Amino acid sequence: MIATVVGNYPKIGVDAQSPNLRSAISRFDSGQITEEELHRIEDEVTKGVIEEQLEAGLDMITDGQIRWEDGQTYFAGKIQGFRITGLIRYFDTNTYYRQPIAEERLQWQGPISLRDYRFAASISSKPVKAVITGPYTLAKLSKGPFYNDFKSLVMSLADILNQEAKALAQAGASVIQFDEPAILNNKGDFPLFQEAMNVLIRGVSSKTALYTYFGDISDLHPGFFELPVHILGLDFVVGTRNWAFLKDFPTDKELGLGIIDARNTKLETVEKIIEAIERASKHVSLNRLHINPSCGLEFLPRSNAYSKLVRMVEAAARAKELLS
Amino acid sequence: MTRGLLTTAVGSYPKPDYLLKARNQVARGKLDNKDLQELEKRATAHWIKVQEDLGMDVLVDGEMYRGDMVTYFSENMEGFAISGLVRSYGNRYYRKPIAVAPVGRSRPVSVEWWQYAQSLTDKPVKGMLTGPYTMADWSFNEYYPSREAFIIDLARSVHEEALDLERAGAEYIQIDEPAVSTRPDEMELAARALGIVTKGLRAFTITHVCYGDFASVFDQLIRLPVDMLDLEMANSNYELLKLLKGNSSDKYLSMGVVDVHNHVIETVDHVKRGIRLGLEVFPPERLYIDPDCGLKTRTDEEAIAKLQVTVTAVRETKKELGIE
Repeated sequence: MIATVVGNYPKIGVDAQSPNLRSAISRFDSGQITEEELHRIEDEVTKGVIEEQLEAGLDMITDGQIRWEDGQTYFAGKIQGFRITGLIRYFDTNTYYRQPIAEERLQWQGPISLRDYRFAASISSKPVKAVITGPYTLAKLSKGPFYNDFKSLVMSLADILNQEAKALAQAGASVIQFDEPAILNNKGDFPLFQEAMNVLIRGVSSKTALYTYFGDISDLHPGFFELPVHILGLDFVVGTRNWAFLKDFPTDKELGLGIIDARNTKLETVEKIIEAIERASKHVSLNRLHINPSCGLEFLPRSNAYSKLVRMVEAAARAKELLS
Repeated sequence: MTRGLLTTAVGSYPKPDYLLKARNQVARGKLDNKDLQELEKRATAHWIKVQEDLGMDVLVDGEMYRGDMVTYFSENMEGFAISGLVRSYGNRYYRKPIAVAPVGRSRPVSVEWWQYAQSLTDKPVKGMLTGPYTMADWSFNEYYPSREAFIIDLARSVHEEALDLERAGAEYIQIDEPAVSTRPDEMELAARALGIVTKGLRAFTITHVCYGDFASVFDQLIRLPVDMLDLEMANSNYELLKLLKGNSSDKYLSMGVVDVHNHVIETVDHVKRGIRLGLEVFPPERLYIDPDCGLKTRTDEEAIAKLQVTVTAVRETKKELGIE
């Protein structure tokens, strides 16, 4: 059983003494500090976030995605052919992202997230999961006037992000996670999604994970379980219907069990978390479970995110004792 | 002659620098709330004068005293705590309300500010409320067992507030529900809650809705229990009008004709073309003209220029069509 996170972590610390990214960005925007200084502060904040995840007792962490303005911009901003434009609401949340527009043929110009992965891996005592916004979701949240149809945009991004994943794998990333929340709202596109996944993981030597959140996989079942990745992440907070599908969960795959509500501050009880793990363990053996929040933790203030992780780790340890 | 095509605004205007600085000083304990309030009054008076000078018909107070449309009300209600910082987008953060006990109102929240703004002008000033669905959707919930229970409790409080505004003399009451279109499966609940708010009101009621997949909720949207819908049109290139065409509702429409997320000031001709499109669907007596959304993210100059072009376009259109 692995205690882990899905992706992002709140950027602003509780301690007033710790480096503050918010003021650093605003000082950078007004020309008071250089880009190098901003990057140094981003590194310091990343370091703090990694230490916090390790302190909470996670077995596998992420770099907290401190440098990501949002899941789209971070990648699209460095893919040639995209222009980053106005704010759009991100799914049904009260957060916004900048919409990328593919105005020319999209091209990978070299690794986007590799430097950040290496930095995190070099300072973490536990494995660091590399995270990539998946091609379907990236395409769905963008516009692609250059492309004749949506499918060409998705497949072009699948190819580009495949190169990104291969670069991460070569650098030693043991687990590479692709985030694809958008497929849950667009189930009719599943055949295209399958095609994109096949291209995406081609030649990637790492263990691969596919995470969905903000919904459930009803109508995608059973094809979803046959997708060519090692770990499938599901949201059991918004997607309560996902419980019903676990009885068919494949024996050769691992499950990302999103049972901690990453969108509400209410702290789960240890008992409730153990109960959920026990429920999942009836269908998926403990050694194939990743216990994690329902989605990235950045919807929460930092102190709440940390408390939730501590609680999750405690419950996971107790569940292991009880159920092994 | 036909009457109509009144001009109005959605709600917020940019805060002047002295106010931003003062709010900052209050947060650091360097200025007291009384001094801040004096500055907020000064800024409110500025915006009332701007709107009067431009010749607008139905005014707003500009929300100089509000940080965030949800946090403002929750801070002044019972049952809410305020969270640590969460990110909205880019480098923008806010504190989110947390329902920790039954929510309710011990006294009017917005009435004094409405009275102050109305005392500065003979034109009607809208009473501005945040709707129950949006209040709940943009808060954390640690108390209520269901979203429904939370939303209905809020609806009762917002109704009391609306009654107080009406007693104070508000002829127009706007209930903002920007979150209402984010989850089609909860539209019925949102409509029911809005019905609780507007029940028995004699004032003219408006709801402002934005950022959504309107097509899927249109039938419910057009039946929301208010006199007028306020919708953004400019930033979607008036696509929404196609949906409204041929509907048999007797609702009024307040139509956004300038994009609030763009620095570029629309031309008078461009706005006039938009107004003509609106007039193809609504008679002038049921059509109001305003910016797409609150203008608080624009600079002072941009906001005034966008209001100016709106008013000029309306004035010219009225003259061309002989509307009084």
